[in-house]
Amino acid sequence: MKIIKQVGIIFSICCISVLIEQYLPFAFPASVIGMILLFLLLLTGLLKIDHIREKSDFLLANMAFFFIPAGVNVINYLDILKVNWLPLLLICVFTTVITFAATAYSVRFTMYLLSRGKGGHHE
Amino acid sequence: MSELWTSPYFGIALSILAFWTGEKLQKKLKSPLCNPLLFAILVIVVILLVFRIPYDSYNEGGAVINMFLAPATACLAVSIYTKIQILKENALPIVVGCTVGSLTSMGSVYLLCKLFGLDGAMTASLLPKSITTPIAVEVCQTHGGIVPVTVIAVIFTGILGSILAPFLLRLFRVKNPITAGLAIGACSHAVGTSKALELGETEGAMSGLAIGVCGIITVIVSMLM
Repeated sequence: MKIIKQVGIIFSICCISVLIEQYLPFAFPASVIGMILLFLLLLTGLLKIDHIREKSDFLLANMAFFFIPAGVNVINYLDILKVNWLPLLLICVFTTVITFAATAYSVRFTMYLLSRGKGGHHE
Repeated sequence: MSELWTSPYFGIALSILAFWTGEKLQKKLKSPLCNPLLFAILVIVVILLVFRIPYDSYNEGGAVINMFLAPATACLAVSIYTKIQILKENALPIVVGCTVGSLTSMGSVYLLCKLFGLDGAMTASLLPKSITTPIAVEVCQTHGGIVPVTVIAVIFTGILGSILAPFLLRLFRVKNPITAGLAIGACSHAVGTSKALELGETEGAMSGLAIGVCGIITVIVSMLM
């Protein structure tokens, strides 16, 4: 019953998120609404991690598995990939490297500015 | 013979078997190239093609698995909540880093798609490639992209990130674990995070946080486009 209860809590949050998505005046993914909703519930203490621990561990630990059907759907688009595989490959490699560099340098620069603001006592 | 794949159990059982084999293989080979998710997708696609099993039959079970994506995404809130202390102490660098990272990712993808002359649907499919799959799929759908192309690009990006991470950390001389984690998470989401966890606890925590923050920033930016 413990796990059933946890499934109930998480699925209820997802259910409400879908409802909120319908009524929002702009397009915003229901799964992200669910994430924000759950975060707020935890932050306000209305929900304790213990209430959903096992179910959430199960979902997070198996995250990769749930993506299989979405990936297999590529079978219906093989012709697109056949034509575009080289640009796809190049775009993925180049943008991954540049995103890494941009994030690392901006984090480092912000930390540097903050430490100067504090008088340079910290890194 | 076709009775075998007319029930939803077929798609579920096949997916579990393929993923399980992929995990075993990864443990044995210890290579980031051998990603269980990528392995499972390839194996299932080959099986469906070889045995001429219709995609819709597989998807009877596939749809059931797919249903768990939204609850799994919601649960990212739990992992962020457990790292709330690091989040509070480094709020500004986290937000600045993830914003710059997300904008760089989308901007560079957009420019390269134009350069290669890819159409609008392909561009929309690739734009969210650096964020976690459930959010990327939603961003792709709201902009008329092709979901499987997004999924493949996201997974491929994640695997690339986890392979390149140690090399990129040296190349850009990243020593601070917070910086390292954020950079890995921002460019290669959950698959990269698994690599960040190997580097250290702080790296892993920051990488996990970057998944959520970059996801939300990308959704907001793509809504404005």
